[in-house]
Amino acid sequence: MDKTKERSIDKTTQDMLQRAKEMNIPTAWDRLESMLPQCGFGQLGICCRNCEMGPCKINPFSVKEQTGICGASADTIVARNFIRMIAGGAAAHSDHGRDIIHAFMLAAQGKTDAYGIKDEVKLKVLAREYKVKIDGRENNEIAAELADKFFLEFGRQYGEMNPPRRAPEKRVKLWRKLGIIPRGVDREIVETMHRTVMGVDNDYKNILMHGFRTALADGWGGSMIATDLSDVLFKSPEPITAKSNLGVLSRDEVNVVVHGHEPTLSDVVVDAVRSPEMIALAKKKGAKGINLVGMCCTSSEILMRHGIPVAGNFLQQELAILTGAVDLMMVDVQCIMPALSGVASAFHTKLVTTSPKNKAPGVTHVEFKAEKAYEIAKEIVKMAIENFPNRNGNGIHIPDKSEDLVAGFTAENIYNFLGGAYRATYRPLNDAIIQGRIRGLAGVVGCNNPKIKHNYGHIEMAKELIKNDVLVVVTGCSAIADSEAGLLQPEAAVKYAGKGLREICEAVGIPPILHVGSCVDNSRILIALTNVIREGGLGEDISDLPVAGAAPEWMSEKAVSIASYFIASGVLTVLGSPFQILGSKKVTNFLCNEAEDIVGGKFVFEGDPVKAAHIMIDHIDKKRKALKLKPMMYR
Amino acid sequence: MCYLIVGNCAAGINAVEGIRKLDTNSKITVISDENSPVYCRSLITDYVAGTRKKEDILYREKDFYEKNKVDLILGETVKGIDVSKKEVILQKGNSLSYNKLLIASGASSKPLRIKGEEKYGVFGFRTLHDAEEIIKTGEKTGKAVVFGGGLIGLKAAYALKKRGLDVLVIVKSSRLLSRTVNAEAAGILGNWFKENGISIRTGIGPQEFSGNGEIEEVLLDNGEKISVKLVIVGKGVMPNISLVKDSPVKTHWGIITDEFLQTNVEGVFAAGDVAETTDMVTGTGAVNALWTAACEQGRIAGMNMVRKDKKYPGSIGANSADFFGLPFMSVGYAGEIKEGYEELTGSNNPKEYSYKRIVLKGNRLVGFTTINKIENAGVYTALIRNKADISSIRDILPEDYFDYPKVKDLLKGKEGFRESISPQGEIIRIA
Amino acid sequence: MIACAVEQSSTGELFKAISETPLPVSLIEVTTAKEGESFPLQCRHCEEPYCIDACIAGAIRKDPETGLVLSDEEKCVGCWMCVMTCPFGVIRVSLLPDKKGKIAVKCDLCQDRKIPACVEACYTGALLFGEVEDLIRAVNKSKEDRDVLLNSR
Repeated sequence: MDKTKERSIDKTTQDMLQRAKEMNIPTAWDRLESMLPQCGFGQLGICCRNCEMGPCKINPFSVKEQTGICGASADTIVARNFIRMIAGGAAAHSDHGRDIIHAFMLAAQGKTDAYGIKDEVKLKVLAREYKVKIDGRENNEIAAELADKFFLEFGRQYGEMNPPRRAPEKRVKLWRKLGIIPRGVDREIVETMHRTVMGVDNDYKNILMHGFRTALADGWGGSMIATDLSDVLFKSPEPITAKSNLGVLSRDEVNVVVHGHEPTLSDVVVDAVRSPEMIALAKKKGAKGINLVGMCCTSSEILMRHGIPVAGNFLQQELAILTGAVDLMMVDVQCIMPALSGVASAFHTKLVTTSPKNKAPGVTHVEFKAEKAYEIAKEIVKMAIENFPNRNGNGIHIPDKSEDLVAGFTAENIYNFLGGAYRATYRPLNDAIIQGRIRGLAGVVGCNNPKIKHNYGHIEMAKELIKNDVLVVVTGCSAIADSEAGLLQPEAAVKYAGKGLREICEAVGIPPILHVGSCVDNSRILIALTNVIREGGLGEDISDLPVAGAAPEWMSEKAVSIASYFIASGVLTVLGSPFQILGSKKVTNFLCNEAEDIVGGKFVFEGDPVKAAHIMIDHIDKKRKALKLKPMMYR
Repeated sequence: MCYLIVGNCAAGINAVEGIRKLDTNSKITVISDENSPVYCRSLITDYVAGTRKKEDILYREKDFYEKNKVDLILGETVKGIDVSKKEVILQKGNSLSYNKLLIASGASSKPLRIKGEEKYGVFGFRTLHDAEEIIKTGEKTGKAVVFGGGLIGLKAAYALKKRGLDVLVIVKSSRLLSRTVNAEAAGILGNWFKENGISIRTGIGPQEFSGNGEIEEVLLDNGEKISVKLVIVGKGVMPNISLVKDSPVKTHWGIITDEFLQTNVEGVFAAGDVAETTDMVTGTGAVNALWTAACEQGRIAGMNMVRKDKKYPGSIGANSADFFGLPFMSVGYAGEIKEGYEELTGSNNPKEYSYKRIVLKGNRLVGFTTINKIENAGVYTALIRNKADISSIRDILPEDYFDYPKVKDLLKGKEGFRESISPQGEIIRIA
Repeated sequence: MIACAVEQSSTGELFKAISETPLPVSLIEVTTAKEGESFPLQCRHCEEPYCIDACIAGAIRKDPETGLVLSDEEKCVGCWMCVMTCPFGVIRVSLLPDKKGKIAVKCDLCQDRKIPACVEACYTGALLFGEVEDLIRAVNKSKEDRDVLLNSR
């Protein structure tokens, strides 16, 4: 058990890793070991393969200053590689957003069998913002016009995107002054690719500033649109209870795991598994029913809206199949390990890809079409049911552990929670911060990474923050990690939170850590911070707020984009492992130091989650001091 | 079998190790007129400079002799050799017999042969004794004059300056290192010395040292007088060949040796600063009085004393030093261009004391000088040693990116090139 | 190259090693012979090393048990005689901490490790480590078989 204990702090995961070892099935951790030592040039970001004169690499131990063949310095190479990572992440989030608009448009046109406008209030809020006429029009008409306007945010060639203007006025002015307010999602991503082509931008600062613009087009653009329209299409989340961890898999029901990121199909699968027709079929095949569970951000989407149980986060995807109890795993896009098909082939598990953007050799593909989403969802559920009898009874090992959780918080419904239904307002939150009951806010987000003990970074950081009266908001794999440790329960406040935070949690009945959704839902955090500013008393810009962000176990390019739009929005952001930028001292200094004077936020790299939490706490205290807030109520 | 080694320095010690590689039991006797255990002669620069303590310049651990089962006789001068009786005759009159003899008696500082040279305060720059006297005298005076602009003189000047003395270097010829490098390289090094606070005067020599027992004043050949209490004479060395004067052992510049480092007398070998060997560059006999050469010769001579089958490929004039943090190397023939020779230079920057110059004779590399840019210098040395035909790589020779892989095919399997794989495991390349 | 420099560094961690003063020196270099032919260049641990003959300070010695040619950095005086004579050009110059001067440094085949850092880092199997006889036998085998034979990864 020794190695498995080093790999994860989650007992369920350790249990499954032991099983993987016994069955001789390699997992991401084993593959990491076979990759060691990893390429130093890559780790430092000083390998350039953007053209065929190269690849070029800069020797980080050379006393002489080296350049690539074209003359690109380490600074240029590192900056280029870095913003290409931002572009990758921004593209992923935004393309997800684009798919949501597409479903939204079809719903408006009545061309689908699954979607409709489920949140009329939010539809109208958006319509007002986009100056779409509401009076006397049907929802569908409004939605159709709005869909076009949202599509335009992607294809806009000049001017400014609309959602970034939701930021505090001072922030918007700063972005304008710096010339980094994004024009259009696609345009900024394309321009990143252009600038980083051989022989274009070689001023690392200029490159990085465009990186910020691209990242802002994600956080305040593609991601934000994805969140907004998902709320309209699938309804805005409300606090909801559920269970999490691999123990949610069922021994006697058909287990369907939906894994990936987008809600478009998974939300419909929720309807499909609840249909009497499907339940009857399952029973006919000897199952007691159908058990739908989620994995990664898809999981968060349907958890937030339907209370669907969470099977696990990124590093648990292979382990879910290893239980032998998964009858079907349906995947869409992002964070789906290509290794899954290999693991699935060792079991009866049927792996099904659904997105035309993500296929795998030898894996069943049932292509998702928004027009007939329900039909497709049923087809997939049927495949799962039919696969149930193929289970190998003895080969099943389901850990018995799962934790209760509360999720479903949004920038909007926090109003209701804190203020009560009759006086929906951020006032109580602002007051709690001002009076020193709550020290500040922290967003802990991001992935898992086998280089860091699974869930350890997330959980230890979150615990340390709430112990110090920092209200924590979480998304994605970080939220799932906390849920697996029981931190997303109101009781966690009693157990782990500092006195001030505990009082608030107990008064309102919320956990000290609020699950606000999937990784595109990090945009909810931006809006919440903006609302705090609007409420007044805590400065004029996000960079004035006593807040900090962190991605203690990041690995994806999406995390690079998220971290970048957070610092470009004025939030100090701590990363559990460094970005691949250390090969340039100038770029590192710019992003970890100078950026604070320019955009108000900067990166800090700290592998120890407790130390990282204290970096965040110190930063929050610094901001409290600058705002001349009262000292903390309880020392 | 009984081996006798005259001399307890680089050649002598390496001869002991050479013998012991092949013969672990026979008696070895080492006899030396110096009184100290073996020290690194070249390190007296560091000792005088104050960067190394006396106990830190030992060449081998104190138990070297015991471990190698050597009878060590110190403080005894060898007067002569009787090759018919196979004996060496000591100063005291007694004698020691041998089966195989190695003469590794070294060399001594060349005297100036001028009046007053014997006065206290005038020292060579060669032995530990010299160093100790220089240090002692240096403490009483703040100033020293060095005669000689060769490497010995420069090392002495550097060491004294490091010690904190005012140093004046006086050179008879028109520039520094006139017998080692060309004027350009000498100029760069001269500027570096001046930048580090050492005065250099050229075209002047000493005429007389005066003083009452201790030196007080130097009279120069231009009539000028300089009062000084410490003078270093760095005029090169001469082989200590007096012990074979009345024997059949032949001498020329030094004791003449064959390809096995044996003298014309069977069973009598010579190595180190006393031995005349074939110079790899010129092909003629020469005494390359160098620590490096002495080590190699000593080891090979030692092995040949046991079993005469190891050829010595010849010696090469090669020197390397570091002055105030500036590395300097000169190997083979690196003087001014003569007829039939040509030079190659890379991207030199004399102002930044960075210089590389390669001397060719036909398609052979015969010498080079580097200042600061020393990496891969050994590859040039290997090319000289191998007499390799460099015509195919001529253009890239002086480049900074030049390195071993570019010439591996030229060096492979050549005589004198000792590449081999350690039996204990070594990384090899598999194509 | 990077693995070697990290191995020579005082922290032993890449992300810190790149900011150390003095910068650690890689003792292996990958350079080219003919165009396109990569060549890893490091100490051969010669049977009769020129560098040992050249070392005026007695700092470089051949370990009688392992055959490794090792340099005692404490003893090195930075005279560069070894650099001048090494036919492979694999002895490097390293700054000492607090700018106390420079010394010559050379590969010790990572004495403290089971497998030298460079071999461990070499992804294509171009560098192998083992007894000569095993290496010769390993030449014509597949990479997997070589790893088993040499127990190197």
